[in-house]
Amino acid sequence: MNKYYWLIPILPLLGSVFNGILGRRAGKGAVTFVGLGTVLGSLVLAFSAFFAMKALPDHRLVLNFGEWMGVGSMSVPFGFVIDTLSGTMMLVVAGIGFLIHVYSVGYMHDDEGYGRFFSYMNLFVFFMLTLVLGSSLPLMFVGWEGVGLCSYLLIGYYFETDFAPDAGLKAFLMNRVGDLGVAIGMMVLFAAFGTLTVGDILLRAGHLAPEAGFGILTFATLMLFVGATGKSAQLPLYLWLPDAMAGPTPVSALIHAATMVTSGIYMICRLAPVFTLAPITMDVVAWVGAATALFAATIGLVQRDIKKVLAYSTVSQLGYMFLGLGASGFAAGFFHVFTHAWFKALLFLGAGSVIHAMHHEQDLFKMGGLKAKMPLTFWTMLAATLAIIGFPGTSGFASKDEILYLAYLKSPALWVIGVVAACCTAFYMLRLFTLAFLGEPRDHHAHDHAHESPASMTLPLVVLAVGSVLAVWLGWPKAFGGEFRIEEWLSSAVTYGQLHAAHGEHGSAQLPLILASVSTILGLGFAFFGYLTYRNGLAVAEARAAKFPVVHKVLLNKYYVDEGVELVILGPIRWFGNLLWKLFDVIIIDGVGVNLPGALARVFGDFTALFQTGRVRNYALSMALGAAVLLYVFLK
Amino acid sequence: MFLAFALITLLGALGMLLQKNIIVAGLFMVAAFFGIAGLFVLLANPVAAALQIIVYSGAIMVLVLFVIMMLSSHEEEAPEASRPVQRWLSVALVVALAVGAVKLVLASRAVQELAVRGSAMPRAVTLQGVGAVLFADHILGFEVAGLMLLAAMVGAVALTKRNL
Amino acid sequence: MTGMDAILHGGLQGYLVVALLLFAIGLAAVLLRRTLLMQFMGVELMLNAANVALLAFARYRGGDLQATVFYLFIIAVAACEAAVGLALIIGLYRHRDTTDSDRTASLKQ
Repeated sequence: MNKYYWLIPILPLLGSVFNGILGRRAGKGAVTFVGLGTVLGSLVLAFSAFFAMKALPDHRLVLNFGEWMGVGSMSVPFGFVIDTLSGTMMLVVAGIGFLIHVYSVGYMHDDEGYGRFFSYMNLFVFFMLTLVLGSSLPLMFVGWEGVGLCSYLLIGYYFETDFAPDAGLKAFLMNRVGDLGVAIGMMVLFAAFGTLTVGDILLRAGHLAPEAGFGILTFATLMLFVGATGKSAQLPLYLWLPDAMAGPTPVSALIHAATMVTSGIYMICRLAPVFTLAPITMDVVAWVGAATALFAATIGLVQRDIKKVLAYSTVSQLGYMFLGLGASGFAAGFFHVFTHAWFKALLFLGAGSVIHAMHHEQDLFKMGGLKAKMPLTFWTMLAATLAIIGFPGTSGFASKDEILYLAYLKSPALWVIGVVAACCTAFYMLRLFTLAFLGEPRDHHAHDHAHESPASMTLPLVVLAVGSVLAVWLGWPKAFGGEFRIEEWLSSAVTYGQLHAAHGEHGSAQLPLILASVSTILGLGFAFFGYLTYRNGLAVAEARAAKFPVVHKVLLNKYYVDEGVELVILGPIRWFGNLLWKLFDVIIIDGVGVNLPGALARVFGDFTALFQTGRVRNYALSMALGAAVLLYVFLK
Repeated sequence: MFLAFALITLLGALGMLLQKNIIVAGLFMVAAFFGIAGLFVLLANPVAAALQIIVYSGAIMVLVLFVIMMLSSHEEEAPEASRPVQRWLSVALVVALAVGAVKLVLASRAVQELAVRGSAMPRAVTLQGVGAVLFADHILGFEVAGLMLLAAMVGAVALTKRNL
Repeated sequence: MTGMDAILHGGLQGYLVVALLLFAIGLAAVLLRRTLLMQFMGVELMLNAANVALLAFARYRGGDLQATVFYLFIIAVAACEAAVGLALIIGLYRHRDTTDSDRTASLKQ
């Protein structure tokens, strides 16, 4: 069976090619079949591969297809590695990807570019799987860049609008800045370890004592983290994610919630032993993550667009994941990736369902009272909301509190920041939920026409809800009597090649319990506060906003960061580009390079044309003059 | 004698150059040719002199005068359009040429020696002599010249036919 | 005889000077007169100047007969050239209604 596993990423690629080239002519039915079928096939094969890997004693299935690049001492293989980390991620990508594809059948049903959409989506699945499964950094980088490309394509999907293509470009350019970091990091890692194969790097890293390659590894990991910042929308490269909501909602769900944005975390987990050797980078990761979590959560408090709230929520939750990683909780961070994929995808798809029902209305202030109209969406969204705020017993509770605990061990300040962010999260999620589903409808016209979405859309919602609930099984914290299975499950991948396994510090046994209780109670308190504020409409909130107008305005305008960037960075760049254009292009290249020779030729021509008078006498004179000169010369 | 003929020639030529009326200019040309014929006589070459008068003055200039008459261009030449550069340059060139050439000739040693060597008057060229050389050594040239004259005649007729 | 003496009394230099001056005058006629016929006559004059020089040298080399034959050929060629040239001038006059060489400048750029 091994020999078919290479199809796991390739099937979606074939689907993409088919849909892209023949989609229009083949018709919606064929596109659906190919688009869903290839991803389903990939998923089936992924399950098979996963279990095959599980059966192996070291939980590591390596598929090598030969040497890709061999230059001098560098030999880059072309192959896949399915270990516990990549295997789990592979299932997430293929599984949630498949569910979102199913959802898209209903959501994009009326759209003209149906074939184009599925082509891009399939292409994305291909690149994401390549990123996850790649056995070498360059192959991972291929996937990394490729998902950036697909993100651009899918964000700018509605290319007829003004802002969608701009948003896509913004995403792509910011990603590119990050990609530079990844490239540099890769090169430095090669310089340090002499190889680009992930497995070999980890093996060699394991043989180094901690602190050994301090400077160079710190630099490499920082560069890689810059890349992760770009891809996973952390400070300061997060600006593209809210704008990316211009794309269709399934895109937001798949790419900007569940999978692509988690590639940064994935990469760090993949190279965990290397990162562990660079404690400074780990500090940076943790603090940036915490800061981002808080920053984005505060912006989410006042946004009106339902998708924007979820976008800032994603940025914030990603911050949590980095916080976990930075606190040496690789398993915790990845577990949050896992749980977040389920409930965030669910939240986005649910939002899509709401938007679809409200005929493309995305403003929360115009929604309300949808509980009666869309019960399925209501219940599934409720499940997701509970998960994200960390309601006890949900998967979100498990992953978040594990992260917060480890954060506390690293630095209590980090814990405080994390808890504040969690409170904000609870508040704005309940705000979203209450405004959308509860209370009186604010736009009666849209409300009257609202209806539950078709099965193709609601079915994935249900599956995702079930998944969100069941995911808790994987990581029920030890503090509450669980076994946190995921840590052990991932250890083979995360500590690959390490001779001394890193031990996280542990405080007293009561500490996690105390911390979790505090954060949960605070969180639930703020959630309830959110519910109370909005359950009767906007009046209370507006009154409060009037009391703190400055704060409200700053938050509503996202701390004016976009404007700042425009002023400080983009403005000068544009000015410089304009200058170069006016100076170089027009004057030097066009003027001197092109026009000047032309003008010179013309002047010359005009001058010599003066001699062509057509008069015999003139010619005779010239001849005589010439003869005289020659005569003179010869007779000298 | 020499001076007389030389002056006739030169003055005739100058007259041709400076005369506005073309017919009069043509007549001055004829005079110049006569002068040249005289010079030939002084050069002990009566054959050449005779040929000069018969062919040049008699035939070619007559032809030219015919054409002048035919084209009725005996009217005065229209005033010269101002092209001073051309004129001054030409004049300068010609003057320079003349002066330079004369100086050259006078300064040349070879010419001086030749002048000294050949100062004795040779026997005059006779028609028989010329004929002997012509038909003995240059018979081919003679025939070709004949053909060339034929060609010229045909060409002239062809060129001036109104309807071919 | 040398120098100006030779010129004035018919030495070789004298004939040569005459020939050169005739040539110069002929050239002047070509360059300075506008009528095609005048230019033609100038050309003939230049030709005759050459003839004079030829026969002058011939005499001073002891009466060369070949030179006279050559002179004959020159005259033959001149005659042909005159015939054709004049035919061309007539043709041009018929076409352009002018014999002004400056007005026949259709090759002007």
